[in-house]
Amino acid sequence: MNRTLRLFTNVGTWLITVAITLLGLAALTFFIGRVVPIDPVIAIVGEKASQSVYDRVYLELGLDKPLWMQFWEYVTKLLRGDFGTSYSTSRPVLQDLLDYFPATLELSTLGLFIGVVLGVPMGVASAYWHEKWPDHLMRIVGLIGYSVPIFWLALVALFVFYRQLGWVSGPGQVDVFFTGIVTHVTGSILIDSAMQGHWDVFWNAVSHMILPALLLGYYSLAYISRMTRSVMLDQLSREYVLTARLKGASEFRAVAGHALRNAAIPLVTVIALSYGGLLEGSVLVETIFSWPGIGNYIYSSLFAADMNAVLGGTLLVGVVFVFLNMLSDVLYRLLDPRSRELSR
Amino acid sequence: MRFYKALVAVALGAVMTATGAIAETPKNTLVIADAIDDVITLDPGEVSEVAGVLVSQQLYQPLVTFDINDPTKIVGVLAKSWEVSADGKTFTFKMNRDAKFSSGNPVTAYDAEFSLQRPLLMDTRISFILKTLGLSKENAKDNIKATDDDTLVLTVGDTYAPSFVLYVLSSYTGGIVDSKLVKEHEVDGDFGNAWLKTANSAGSGPYVLTKWDPKQSILLSKNPNYWGTAPGVERLFFQHMPESATERLALEKGDIDVANKLSPDDFDAIANNKDITVQQGTDTTIYYFGLNLRNENLKNPKVVEAIKYLVDYKGIADTIGRGTLKVHQTMIPEGFLGGNSGYEPYKFDLEKAKALLAESGVKLPFTLATVVWNVPPYTEYSQAIQATLAQAGINLDLQVVDGQQWLDRYRSHDLDIWMGLWGPDYPDPNSNAETFTVNKPGDPEKSSTLADRFGWNSGALSDQVLAAVKEQDTAKREQMYFDAAKAQADASPFVYMFQGARKVATRANVKGLVLGYTYSDDRYGGVSKE
Repeated sequence: MNRTLRLFTNVGTWLITVAITLLGLAALTFFIGRVVPIDPVIAIVGEKASQSVYDRVYLELGLDKPLWMQFWEYVTKLLRGDFGTSYSTSRPVLQDLLDYFPATLELSTLGLFIGVVLGVPMGVASAYWHEKWPDHLMRIVGLIGYSVPIFWLALVALFVFYRQLGWVSGPGQVDVFFTGIVTHVTGSILIDSAMQGHWDVFWNAVSHMILPALLLGYYSLAYISRMTRSVMLDQLSREYVLTARLKGASEFRAVAGHALRNAAIPLVTVIALSYGGLLEGSVLVETIFSWPGIGNYIYSSLFAADMNAVLGGTLLVGVVFVFLNMLSDVLYRLLDPRSRELSR
Repeated sequence: MRFYKALVAVALGAVMTATGAIAETPKNTLVIADAIDDVITLDPGEVSEVAGVLVSQQLYQPLVTFDINDPTKIVGVLAKSWEVSADGKTFTFKMNRDAKFSSGNPVTAYDAEFSLQRPLLMDTRISFILKTLGLSKENAKDNIKATDDDTLVLTVGDTYAPSFVLYVLSSYTGGIVDSKLVKEHEVDGDFGNAWLKTANSAGSGPYVLTKWDPKQSILLSKNPNYWGTAPGVERLFFQHMPESATERLALEKGDIDVANKLSPDDFDAIANNKDITVQQGTDTTIYYFGLNLRNENLKNPKVVEAIKYLVDYKGIADTIGRGTLKVHQTMIPEGFLGGNSGYEPYKFDLEKAKALLAESGVKLPFTLATVVWNVPPYTEYSQAIQATLAQAGINLDLQVVDGQQWLDRYRSHDLDIWMGLWGPDYPDPNSNAETFTVNKPGDPEKSSTLADRFGWNSGALSDQVLAAVKEQDTAKREQMYFDAAKAQADASPFVYMFQGARKVATRANVKGLVLGYTYSDDRYGGVSKE
């Protein structure tokens, strides 16, 4: 009984925290959006429209009401699941988000996968051969990924692998040949085309995705490998590793079985944060690859002063971060026996 | 280790080749790369964004248009002929009975009536164009009237020059929709706006709208009932590709057929590519900067004149414009009535400018707050101008801002210099002459014309321009604009620098693309791929 009650309280506290976070995020975005020196009416009607048109749109947007009332109306609508309409697409914002977010989701997931699969072993190797040539090599690779502007890398990569070598397809999600063949179900072109058996579209989409995904992967690899290295350096110098070695454990067991297992706990946070960063959408990569992702959606909406779209996008990113936090909390508990003990 | 590396390289290569690309566009589809994230509507009654107008021009046709080779000639499209009453106020159009909509319905005068009334009755953002003819929401129903299927009677508010009225009707506001079809889809008195906005078209042009994915792509298909010569391709596919370098790579590779947003650098890069044709077109955009006469120093006419000698026009056009800007120093662009005066009195002349500044008696140096849009070529040439003005002791405080803020700043009057551009709303010189010259004393905001906005009292020139728009004789009218434009270039606080010169790169097998007088006016109706 007591345990169930505690569970309820925990979940309740968590829900309230999330609600306050999201409300705060909405409020912040809303008020920043209202104080930026962009007139949303001009953005809609254009510079040359007459005063009567201006006034009509001004009233339609509800800008004549006090700020707090505008915010209140926004929030009450939001609670009913209404994100408002984007004036630049003339569609409900929710529908837009469901359209643009999957494209970012699949690209980021692939990118993160590459980043983790390559980045963690690189970081471990780097720490294991500390100050030896593998370490130097990995650090240089990481440093380049971290410091070279991604748009430059993206253009060079396009030039080499698309223009010169022709190994991959160019900008866009699929070739024009394949546009409009796949019905929108999940929004992920890979999943949708595979489910509907359009394997030609699937492979075409893969060849379009591989380059931006590798770039995002490289970018997150740089961060993940550096963090892995520093966490692993710390763990490898601990006494339990020495103990393990003294007890005759193999090097592999000492490093992978003991040190990496302990390093995994802080790494979960690092990886979750990288994932969150990728899911915000990389405006530069999306622009260069003409990728219809959420980053570009929020960015172009912001410049068009399309505040409903910006708010919706920001809230979505907020929800993603909350979700990733929750996920890493759960993973903590699985990985760290102590936190299981504590919560009992 | 070397072995492993080689293995990885081979594996990566294998994956990439296995998924290799088809580097060619479908034969029956023309793929156009453009920045289309500004498109918010395709309804001809309200569309006004650059890419939006471009798309809607392929879907809808006006009553009249101008000859692309000689813009002073006006020719009928959906109207066969027209007559102007003796007092110049009533225009009677006879419709072209061959014309059909994509639905198969014939084009009648009732469609024209409905379509021209729409922007006014809906009070849309482009209604101001028709309002220049003295039309309004209140008089639209009386002044735009079909008397039978064949005849449309248009009554304008004043005795305007017939060429002016016809040019206005040839603009993107003048697109005629299928009133029967649109009325079927009217919801709550919206004149079919919701239906036409994003998902449907009801025009008589060479293409129909198939699908618009906002900020991603727009697909048009051949109009099955097109009454003119059918286009040579089945589909037009506008692909959102905002980055110039990406467009260039895709064009070189053959993944797109037309690149609409290439920068001078990328034009240089493709100059010797045999698979690519570069088409040279006109652009009626005027690049200028306005001096706010509310500033104490700028109030002095000698200072204004000096500044006109402190811009290296030719140098900027050669090094920054590189074929995308040409020097032009009057308010009316070349190609329009009164635009071909060849009047080019100013060049960079530091000595003369210094002498003028000395004569003016203002205290040097002084600083001017200058608002610049944060995109090329504005940023680039603003710096060049800043450098040459500084040589004479005039410092520019460049405030580089994003596009919306740039517009906001110029609506308020708290700046000294605004680096701007003006694109005419309709292909008539009045669109430029009016805004750059006419004073509207009754306007409390002082914002309806650029002349008022920059605090300039143009005196007799204002009346001269107003008289030109009423002149019935076209040749006389042209002369009036020549005269006004020259006098205006010298007297006004506007430093006219360039007219856009437009280049569009296509694959060499693309034929029949006709470039219009603005970005939005390109005509894809006769396009084909060999």
